[in-house]
Amino acid sequence: MSARVFQWMSDSPLGAWVNSSAAIWPTLETLHFVSLCVLMGSILVIDLRLVGFYRERCAPAVARLAGLALLAFAVNAATGVLFLFGNTFKYVGNPAFAIKLVLILAAGTNAAFYQWRLRSLVETEEVTRTSIAVGGISLALWAGVIICGRMITFYAR
Amino acid sequence: MTVLEYLEASRLSQWLSISMAGGPTLLALHSVGMAVVVGLSLMIALRLHGVLPGPGIERLPGLLKVTAWGFALNVLTGLGFFITRGPEYISSAIFLMKMALVAVSAALTAWLWRRLAPRARTTAGPPIDGVARTLSFAATLTWFGAVVAGRLIAYLSDLYR
Repeated sequence: MSARVFQWMSDSPLGAWVNSSAAIWPTLETLHFVSLCVLMGSILVIDLRLVGFYRERCAPAVARLAGLALLAFAVNAATGVLFLFGNTFKYVGNPAFAIKLVLILAAGTNAAFYQWRLRSLVETEEVTRTSIAVGGISLALWAGVIICGRMITFYAR
Repeated sequence: MTVLEYLEASRLSQWLSISMAGGPTLLALHSVGMAVVVGLSLMIALRLHGVLPGPGIERLPGLLKVTAWGFALNVLTGLGFFITRGPEYISSAIFLMKMALVAVSAALTAWLWRRLAPRARTTAGPPIDGVARTLSFAATLTWFGAVVAGRLIAYLSDLYR
């Protein structure tokens, strides 16, 4: 079943489009890298506040940074899906890609926990053990996402 | 034998070229450093231009320090790549363009840091002027230029993919 889905993705018009010009893949990769930088920058400023690198009331800034991070993540996800269609069998069964997806899921869960339990913390100058853990885990997970993303090429079949 | 050829033939270079713990790890860490440097540079520029309402200006020198750590990671990992294929790197136009952009960006960022440093000690420091805003804008632009050039090295030369 899944093999047929992967074959369909590989043979799809979208996959064909990604490979239709020598300029498309490098352009998508460049977009992926640029939005990765925007995502990492936004997350760093939020997480450095959570771990206590600086302490101040910055709820409006965090809200704007979270919006920017979501926008950058959307660009990363869109370009990532295009890579998947364009070279399906480079990613399917690739351990680095699988770990990358798990880390993204974990980072999303961590961000959801922040929204649920810690959002009001940035309205104060407080730093708690939980905020240090959430900020530290977020930084580690996103660094892991970047590392696994770069390792995909080396684990491709 | 030139210095670059000597380095390319060294045992360290051989290990970096064949070991999964060598070249691929360097490349992955280089990407982490890049995201820290370019991402924070953009956030500092957005803060100085008023797009972001925080953190306070007095926090920016601290964020620039984190940027410097990211840059140090990039320099170290970049030297690792250079050891493995130095003669090819210096004959690649796109690589030289990336290096020029990195040098300009680093100089602009250092200049910005120097201008913002007095603000780290007080919340009532001198106002942020057009020079600081221009420096942050230009540094961010050139950092992104370096990212694009770095990515294109794989396509416009045979160095690494």
